[in-house]
Amino acid sequence: MADGMRVWVVIAAYNEAKVIGRVVGDVTRRGYPVVVVDDGSADDTADRASAASIVVRHPINLGQGAALQTGIDCAMQQRADVVVTFDADGQHRSADIESLVAALREARADFALGSRFLGRTIALPAARRLLLRAATVFTQLTTGLRLTDTHNGLRAMTRRGAAKIRLRQNRMAHASEILAQIAASGLPYVEVPVRIEYTAYSLAKGQRIGDALTILLDLFARRLYR
Amino acid sequence: MTAQIVLSMLMGGVLLYAGNERRRSPVVAWLSILAATAGLYFTWMPEQATSLAHWSGIGRGVDLVIYVWVGITLIVLLNLHLKLRTQMELVTVLARTIALAEAKVQPVRKPRRRTARRASSSEI
Repeated sequence: MADGMRVWVVIAAYNEAKVIGRVVGDVTRRGYPVVVVDDGSADDTADRASAASIVVRHPINLGQGAALQTGIDCAMQQRADVVVTFDADGQHRSADIESLVAALREARADFALGSRFLGRTIALPAARRLLLRAATVFTQLTTGLRLTDTHNGLRAMTRRGAAKIRLRQNRMAHASEILAQIAASGLPYVEVPVRIEYTAYSLAKGQRIGDALTILLDLFARRLYR
Repeated sequence: MTAQIVLSMLMGGVLLYAGNERRRSPVVAWLSILAATAGLYFTWMPEQATSLAHWSGIGRGVDLVIYVWVGITLIVLLNLHLKLRTQMELVTVLARTIALAEAKVQPVRKPRRRTARRASSSEI
């Protein structure tokens, strides 16, 4: 990987007016250009994200998967060499972006996937830990990828890797879909320890146990048509 | 005889529908073909339907035909759901194109260019 690469951070946001300003400010202070995709929020998320280099606004709410793909497309249009996906709810640390980018170069990988289980989690509820473990086993069985954390929104990909990603799962099943596409691409990947800090806000915004069934149904339905 | 002809026409319609859907959704198409073919067979071979119904514990052959028809209806509903998903994908592409075309770009902000030395440090 060449030095002097352009790193773009993609943040998909839906009704995140309370925290998006702080999250974007935290990332931009480290010198990274940011694309915020406001997924048709009803609040003033887009206005609060004005510190971002680019704010893209979906005319209607489509889902996090659709917003991420829009952000990746936008970053690619800006000739990004590396695209980092970063959650809008403030549970990720901007310092981990550096680790992901460094891992891409050092491991000569095209995907660097954050792992909270190799790193640290703060205030992760036991039920969610169990759900994440089950999702990890499911992903290992369906994709063959040997990962410790499968639903982590903090990841980095090279331009070559990003070109292989074409998310068609608009909702939460995109996290599994992206891993399936990484496996199908055959490109090298590496896991990187990251820290995730859960707050009452991020827990309220995050997935619930019942969402697991919806994700499974979405993944199944997607296999039934071209 | 009239009912058999009407049912056969309906099953024929399902077969045509399945043929049209084969390229887009092969699983649904083959399930429809299977169910419609079974329906046609049982419509014209009611004694076979009765035997199979007795064997499977349903009771009457006509009930078996009705169950097959219910199965076909569920398959068509599934296909409708899949068509809605396809439509949603098209809506997504359209919304994305509009969003990217109308993106708000801030005045030029020089992206941080990673150097070998700086990129090698994992923490700031």
